[in-house]
Amino acid sequence: MKALFLKDMRYRQARVVLTTLGITMLISLILLLGGIMNGMRIQAQQYVNSTGADIWISAEGSGGAFIGFSLLEEELMAFLGSSPGLVENSASPLIFAQARPTVNGKPTKAMVVGYTLGNLGGPKQVVEGRMFTPRKYMDYRPEDHVPYEVIVDEKMGLEIGEKITISKDEVRVVGKAKSLMFVLDTPLLFMDIRAAQRVLLENTPYINMMVAKTDSKYTPDEVAANLDAFGAIEARTLEHTLSDIMEYWVDQPMKAVQFLRVMLWLVAGLLVGMITYVTMLEKTQEIGVLKAIGASNSYVMTLLLKQVALISVIGVGIGFCLSYIFAAAAPIFVKINLVESVIVACISLIVCCGSGYLAARKGIKVDPMIAFRGEIDSTPIRNVDMPTTNVALIGN
Amino acid sequence: MAAIVEGIGLTKRFGIGDAAVTAIDSVDIRIEERELVMIVGDSGCGKTTLISLLGCILTPDAGELRIDGDMIDPINHDLSSVRRDKIGFVFQMFHLLPYLTALENVMVAMDIAKTKEAEAEKRAIELLTRVGLSERLHHRPAQLSGGEKQRVSFTRALANRPKIIFADEPTANLDSRQSDNLMDLIEELRQEHQTTIAIVTHHEGLRENADRIIHLKDGRIISA
Repeated sequence: MKALFLKDMRYRQARVVLTTLGITMLISLILLLGGIMNGMRIQAQQYVNSTGADIWISAEGSGGAFIGFSLLEEELMAFLGSSPGLVENSASPLIFAQARPTVNGKPTKAMVVGYTLGNLGGPKQVVEGRMFTPRKYMDYRPEDHVPYEVIVDEKMGLEIGEKITISKDEVRVVGKAKSLMFVLDTPLLFMDIRAAQRVLLENTPYINMMVAKTDSKYTPDEVAANLDAFGAIEARTLEHTLSDIMEYWVDQPMKAVQFLRVMLWLVAGLLVGMITYVTMLEKTQEIGVLKAIGASNSYVMTLLLKQVALISVIGVGIGFCLSYIFAAAAPIFVKINLVESVIVACISLIVCCGSGYLAARKGIKVDPMIAFRGEIDSTPIRNVDMPTTNVALIGN
Repeated sequence: MAAIVEGIGLTKRFGIGDAAVTAIDSVDIRIEERELVMIVGDSGCGKTTLISLLGCILTPDAGELRIDGDMIDPINHDLSSVRRDKIGFVFQMFHLLPYLTALENVMVAMDIAKTKEAEAEKRAIELLTRVGLSERLHHRPAQLSGGEKQRVSFTRALANRPKIIFADEPTANLDSRQSDNLMDLIEELRQEHQTTIAIVTHHEGLRENADRIIHLKDGRIISA
């Protein structure tokens, strides 16, 4: 009978549904966590890639532009202007710092990017409104008038003319930039570097980093090595900077999540194994009767494995689909990679079926002698191995 | 007549060392074609162990067993195939699968024997109709009476046209009317299907139906 295992599953439908639901939730969680990490990777890269810079310079000992504490003096710009390997006038000072602006009286998170208009580091244009008013002088003058204007991420929901508070200063929204979130949906606020120095660095002449483009006659590695040799700064190529960001902003903080994913896999496997084992214990007498009337070990094993496989396939399949729905509804950016999720789904299927197989192996050891005892629906668990009989000789 | 089952010096012990119990002790037994044999004896005398040995569910610690002329070698023989092809079992507690209907419970035995589904269904309907359950084909065990369950169980045992059917206390859970009906049915089916049947029973009234009665005591045959 082709549908024997289905009839058995229907008879135990509450358990089947709950097991499938358990696998579904676990798989969708595994995929969702992967999607969150993937989303963080994409967001961590997109700002850096959008600048068009090839070289990222931070203070010596900072460990990289986006990693440790880095304060540079703007005077270093003069040195960079004469450095070989850089495109003339491409070097640009940059402030990139976490801030807690208050929007409509509510504190929120954001990354403030201070840069010089027309140079590397910020958007070339806005999608709405206008660019901020640049400072009047190229050099640092503490008494200069600083225009407190900001370009916000279009997804922040702010309107042109609205005012937000950063530190103690009120800045006015003058434009909206195409959405370019940083890790975990942190919006970017772009303002003039002098304005950023005022609101974040107490009007001191410091910057966090400098970015530049390399001359096509040199490779970025050569230029970075040459700048590094200067001693007071650390220079990184774009590739190196991206790798630093991934390590610092995504991989390190997400180690616990990776561990959690592995644990969830184990839980999924355990769940299937445990339910199969419990079901098998409950079916001990049925299995004994089937063996007594001639069922081979492979017949019994196939019966159990078909159930395990069907529950696993349905659980993993629904979990796979559900993860995309969860991703769309998640309050943060989640990007589930199709290839990765197919691989994860396949591994999950193997884990579930594997643990189900291990539990089902116990089933084929049931002694058919058990058929001469008790009632099917009241099988005591202790009867699985039937130690009073010669199990080894009746293995077939 | 040819012997369907022949055991020589069959011995079965359970446990080891001082705790070992000899359940069947050097039993010689021969059951011939189309015989209806009753195996009787007190509780714990080894009746169920004996039919388990003869039905290839247990393997003997000593002795030889032939079924339908073939020597059974427990090491090299696929005992499940012997049970499937040559033996039918009827259990005291019926042991029908609770999630299957009467029809499906009979078909499952043929499914194990790899009989085609359509053929299995046809034969199962014929057999169940023969035992008077044509109106109960699609009822589950929980919807059947004890007598009906045992008739389904007997039909399942007959499904693969076994050489011999072993029945372990088949009337123990039936009232006297149901027991009599079942025994009448067993006798009719034995004649129709030319099947050999060995029944373990305490039921005195059943003995009159037997061709032969085997008395067992302390694991030994005291009369046959």
